[in-house]
Amino acid sequence: MAESERDPNVSRRYRELGAEEPPRALDEAVLAASRRAAELHPAPLVPPTGRRRWYFPLAAAAVIVLSVALTWHMQHEERPDPDGVSLSEATQDRQAAPAAAAPAAKPAAEPRTMQRAMREEARTETPEKQLERIAELRQAGRHEEADRLLAEFRKRYPDYRISEEMLGKIERK
Amino acid sequence: MFLSGEPTRSTGACVQELGKLPCVEEVPDEQLMLAYRDGDAGAFETLYVRHRARLFRFLLRSIRQRAAAEELYQEVWMRVIEARGRYAPQARFTTWLYTIAQRLLVDQWRRGALSVVPLDLVEVEGSSPDPARHAEARQTLHKFALALEALPQAQREAFLLHEEAGLTAVEIAAATGCGEEAAKSRLRYAMAKLKAAVDDG
Repeated sequence: MAESERDPNVSRRYRELGAEEPPRALDEAVLAASRRAAELHPAPLVPPTGRRRWYFPLAAAAVIVLSVALTWHMQHEERPDPDGVSLSEATQDRQAAPAAAAPAAKPAAEPRTMQRAMREEARTETPEKQLERIAELRQAGRHEEADRLLAEFRKRYPDYRISEEMLGKIERK
Repeated sequence: MFLSGEPTRSTGACVQELGKLPCVEEVPDEQLMLAYRDGDAGAFETLYVRHRARLFRFLLRSIRQRAAAEELYQEVWMRVIEARGRYAPQARFTTWLYTIAQRLLVDQWRRGALSVVPLDLVEVEGSSPDPARHAEARQTLHKFALALEALPQAQREAFLLHEEAGLTAVEIAAATGCGEEAAKSRLRYAMAKLKAAVDDG
């Protein structure tokens, strides 16, 4: 409506009806709710401005880095054994092969699957059995595997007291 | 407390402010709402001070019971608070605020609480020493209140939006969902009837 259509007499009479205001309790309730909401401060649905402008690039970069890292990790963890050795085959190979011949059997490509299988197997054995296995590896000259398993053993059983005799067998000389 | 400030009806400027809240006259409503959207609780308080009284009267004159008006009043502001994340200043904040209020009113009307001015509560301001003059003034005001009450709902709504919220016909159309010409027409009819009541009084 054009301002010219406003009738001052009507407006004045309307004002005479009263100038009611909301009760104080309502004011307090509304303002308290507004403060609570401001404290929650959800992420706005529109692009942020000013100092918050760096939120989106940072979040995008974090997502990219995580995605790349996860992909790389999955590729290296799940890469198939180049020799086509399955978990069960690897375990059988290890058990069947003479301990002395083991280092020369597959030196360059000791399958990751086999190593993993050994570690898994070691986790299910008793501590004594694990120590014996480490001693066997040491005796066979497979010192890297023995060191790795020994480190895992000490991490897993930090309070386990290894006898002097066994220490002589499992520690690298 | 702190909430006595209210914009003047002609300019929207803050004329009075008590207590701690600053009245930031130069900051538009829309900018305050954006600041609140971004977490500035003080911006909301300034907005609230600007609009509280007029919004309350708009609702009070549109609905039968004061308790229901208070409930609606709180609901309107809660909707504003909840919608802050989606707020984008595509129109005046006032238009947006009263659009929310009008929609809640429509829901209320649909539930059967038709609006009337509570005539029993109408009191003549000031104290005339002459009882006869006081009674006459009260009678005049009652006639005006009756005329306002007698307006069709759409016309009364247009009048209140114009008078309390200061909305233009275009903004009334936006707030009520009618066409601009319809809004103009409703406002014109309402003003004519109320003017007749004033002249008659």
